[in-house]
Amino acid sequence: MLAWLTDPFASPIVVRALAEVLILALACGPLGVWVLLYRDAYAAESISHGMLPGLVLAALIGVPLVLGALAGVLLAAAGIALVAADRRLSGDVGVAVCVSALLGLGGMLALSADTPPRLQELLFGDLLGVGARDLLVAGALAGGVVVALAAGHRRLALVGFDRGSAAALGAAPARWELTLLAILAVTTVAAAGGLGNLLLVALVLAPAAAALTLTRRLLPALGLAVGFGALSGLGGLIASYHFEIAAGASVALCAVACAGFALLVARTG
Amino acid sequence: MPELAPYLQRAVLEIALLAVPAGLLGSWIVLRRLAFFTHAVGTVSFPALVLAGAWGIAPQLAALAAALGFGVAQERIGRGGRLAADAATGLILVGALALGVVLASDVFESGAQVDTLLFGSLIGLTDRDLWLTALVAVVVVVLDASLRRHWLAGGFEPGSSRALGLRPVLADRLLLMGIGAAAIVALDAVGALLVTVVLVVPAATVRLITDRLGALQAGATGVALAEGLAAVWLADALNVGAGPALAVIGGAVFAAVAAATAARARAVPA
Amino acid sequence: MSGLEVRGLSGGYAAGHDVLRDVDFTAAPGEIVGILGPNGGGKTTLFRALLDELPVRRGELSLPGRPAYVPQTDQARLDFPVSAHDVALMGAFGRTPWFRRIARADREAADAALERVGLADRADTTFGALSGGQRQRVLIARALVQDAPLLLLDEPLSGVDGASAARIEAVFGELRAEGRTLLVATHDVRQAGEWDRVLCVHGRQIDFGPPAAVLSPETLRETYGDELIVLEGGGRAVGIGHHAHGH
Repeated sequence: MLAWLTDPFASPIVVRALAEVLILALACGPLGVWVLLYRDAYAAESISHGMLPGLVLAALIGVPLVLGALAGVLLAAAGIALVAADRRLSGDVGVAVCVSALLGLGGMLALSADTPPRLQELLFGDLLGVGARDLLVAGALAGGVVVALAAGHRRLALVGFDRGSAAALGAAPARWELTLLAILAVTTVAAAGGLGNLLLVALVLAPAAAALTLTRRLLPALGLAVGFGALSGLGGLIASYHFEIAAGASVALCAVACAGFALLVARTG
Repeated sequence: MPELAPYLQRAVLEIALLAVPAGLLGSWIVLRRLAFFTHAVGTVSFPALVLAGAWGIAPQLAALAAALGFGVAQERIGRGGRLAADAATGLILVGALALGVVLASDVFESGAQVDTLLFGSLIGLTDRDLWLTALVAVVVVVLDASLRRHWLAGGFEPGSSRALGLRPVLADRLLLMGIGAAAIVALDAVGALLVTVVLVVPAATVRLITDRLGALQAGATGVALAEGLAAVWLADALNVGAGPALAVIGGAVFAAVAAATAARARAVPA
Repeated sequence: MSGLEVRGLSGGYAAGHDVLRDVDFTAAPGEIVGILGPNGGGKTTLFRALLDELPVRRGELSLPGRPAYVPQTDQARLDFPVSAHDVALMGAFGRTPWFRRIARADREAADAALERVGLADRADTTFGALSGGQRQRVLIARALVQDAPLLLLDEPLSGVDGASAARIEAVFGELRAEGRTLLVATHDVRQAGEWDRVLCVHGRQIDFGPPAAVLSPETLRETYGDELIVLEGGGRAVGIGHHAHGH
């Protein structure tokens, strides 16, 4: 029985993949809690979906994926901000137009290229292809995210709980809402390589959703989210090894299953 | 004029037929804020399409099952709970994508088929696909003609439409089902990820120019048709599905119109 | 502590559209000023101006320090994972730089504040699980922790149960005795009549002064317009509020 759990980690590839997922869980977990508390789930999905052209271009040009992710996220955020500001269309219509245009652009760039980049790795991640350098980059980005969230913790709580009074208590609401989006952007960049731009949102939202369902306090929620993320990573990689399925998708499914399970327990318990 | 290859003829016909729901339903999607729902219906069909490919059943049937399941889940979510609606839907969507990938690992050897399911294809259209799309187009026309009053009232002021003697719940359900059906028949041409490029983008573009429903629907149909034909041409030239081509063309047109009309709106004194 | 001075205050949310005009009053330390006026008449705008959150503002303000703001509880999120103690403690966040831990003294201040509002036994309860009146008291506790010389309270007694209301009014008395200044927006004319000063606002300042002088039928009519009901006896009037309070 124990062998079933530890066999996958005899391979250094899987060990690196586990390291990557644990690093990402550290950042995505707490960030996901804030994203849910600030009701920004739609923004998280939109930014991650819309970053595809950046990833594809980076793959085509031969530049590190992280740079493509950064460019992609900036472009997506700018586009979304532009349409969201246009008052003629209601909120989700403009964003849907922007995101689908970007997704389609990414698809077109990838599928029409002479030497097509591996589109599915960009969409669904290349968790088993993670190298030492990728781990360093992810670690640095995730570390930055954790530090930023810790430093801004009280201000984020002030604004999230009572936006109207936040300024009186010492936190400018608009600035902190923007800060959260910026931290979300960095997390997205960190997670894109391992999980792909379509699946990374699972590691952001699902562990956090599970955590918030099970606890009524902020700090425990932040910690639980990391725990659920780590669990999903572990379970996902074990399942991926034994059932021979894609690693990133396996982790994402585990995360969503965690959330589903927690919601069921909460509803019946 | 050179004769079009059979696959191109079917692609052109399919896109032309899709212009009908794109114009009629797309206008309602934009007015009733159902863009996210439209995208979601397309996305959740992905794992069903993978299974359909493996089991040899009609993709539209599998997609229908997925759409129905999603519809039920949406209602459950709407009834409130610990999780906000958009977060719950987001989790369902990413779960569906992950499930599709996992199933595809076992089912498909080549990655190309997953790409086709996600981004559509010009060459896979069969006569049956065309008939189904035509059927949906007809149903959409009928639904729109008989329910537009209800849909308008329900969107304007949900509370009062019952007092006006209308049946908002049933009418709204039929709207969602209509959108689901349109999404299902659009899947093979534009792909599970890009259903909104045909059903939402043309109507959103025309919405920037007009407030009136009639003009919106007519304009959206025309724009969808024109963009769709251009997309087929572009997709064929680049050997991609119609979805990405339409996304790029539609997106560019939308951006141009938005920029042009924003400038015009600013020039008019308030 | 020093008091509050407002001279010729006008302003609003967009240039050229003043929501508030010509507000002119002072409040000494230890005074409670009731602010009366219809919804949309400028009470909240006045608070925003005093909090320095009004985009367009003219006139002079002299404040004894940064004010504490007590909003109505339906503005705060009921599903936020915080306890009553956590919320009270937020009053200290503004004075703690981001790199410092919250001081033990501040934690004790939060406990003490909850004690003062009568919720010491509910310190660990989730904010959203409390009743409306209890939630209002927690928000007041937060303002107590802030230790501000000036407190702005937006309808703190609206829709609040009797026990909570009594507690809140007792706290008002204590704050007064400590020399703090309170501005309380309210719809309850009778209540305002028991305080030191009354300010009537409806787009502009209608009147300011001791309740006996200000609370005349003419002034109230001018302040509330159509929303006014005069009870029998002629001498008492009630302003109608259109608030829906979720509890």
